[in-house]
Amino acid sequence: MQLTETGESRINGYLFVLERSLKTFLARDVVRDAVREIESHLRERIVAADGSPDERGALEQILAELGPPLRVAQAYSAERTMDEAVATGRLVPMLHAVGHLAATTFTGFFAALGLLCGYLSAFGFFAIAVLKPIFPDNVGVQYVRGFPVGIGAHFPLKPGMELHGGYAVIPFALACGLGIFVGTHRGARGFLTWWRNSRVS
Amino acid sequence: MSHETWQEQLRRGSLDLAILLTVSTGPLYGLAIIQHLEAFTDLVVTEGTIYPILGRLTREGLLEAQWVEGEAPHPRKYYTLTPAGVKRLDHMKAEWRAFADKITRLMDAAEGPDHAAH
Repeated sequence: MQLTETGESRINGYLFVLERSLKTFLARDVVRDAVREIESHLRERIVAADGSPDERGALEQILAELGPPLRVAQAYSAERTMDEAVATGRLVPMLHAVGHLAATTFTGFFAALGLLCGYLSAFGFFAIAVLKPIFPDNVGVQYVRGFPVGIGAHFPLKPGMELHGGYAVIPFALACGLGIFVGTHRGARGFLTWWRNSRVS
Repeated sequence: MSHETWQEQLRRGSLDLAILLTVSTGPLYGLAIIQHLEAFTDLVVTEGTIYPILGRLTREGLLEAQWVEGEAPHPRKYYTLTPAGVKRLDHMKAEWRAFADKITRLMDAAEGPDHAAH
């Protein structure tokens, strides 16, 4: 089947969306190779559909059988990013995988939001432990009118606010930060494992 | 777990074996692998999702990929089984047969005359 200009535009549009999606998490040479392979598949199918009087119908069927570009990109994501993240448990691949899911899926967005809160809380506690020796009068357990209202740093302290806890805040913040970090990281790995196992390929 | 989820897991779990078996017949390009799978099984639901699996099997060193130009109006990426792939396939086949035998024996026992009487 010799494609018309409209048909070529449809193919190029599909490949463009696929390439853009793959570029968010794959290296450039890997993306180029993947898009080339998918284009080869499409051209092969188009040649096989030679003689079809309805170019548009035949083309749409070929593309439907191949799957929407975002779904194909998700399958690549599942095979590469997810596998690396789940297998190694390393922070960077996991953040990469969660970030990609957040950008492409509804569930991933909310999961990423929750995980982001967890990681930020952990780093907040780590920051308290680091800042306490540098700003001993501004970091600690904050009390207002004799009641504890929080833990953190204030520059300067609000009127009526007192700091308690002394340097015991450091091990406390480290323990809390580590606990939240490990919990969030395990949660992230569990979520990615679940997503990878439940993906539709 | 719903029946559909179980079916999906079964299908996904056997896809690697099916792809390695297909490529074991000789060098094949993506579409030829898909067509072979479609001729013998209903494992391929979305054609485009087979390519990432081929990529993973290549990264794992079980398949070797090579672009061939001039054979068709467009280049084709051919996949062949590596020695590591042959070894893995042998293991997978043996494990699949053993697993299938056990499940079959279990089903035979469940469907036996004693079971039917109850």
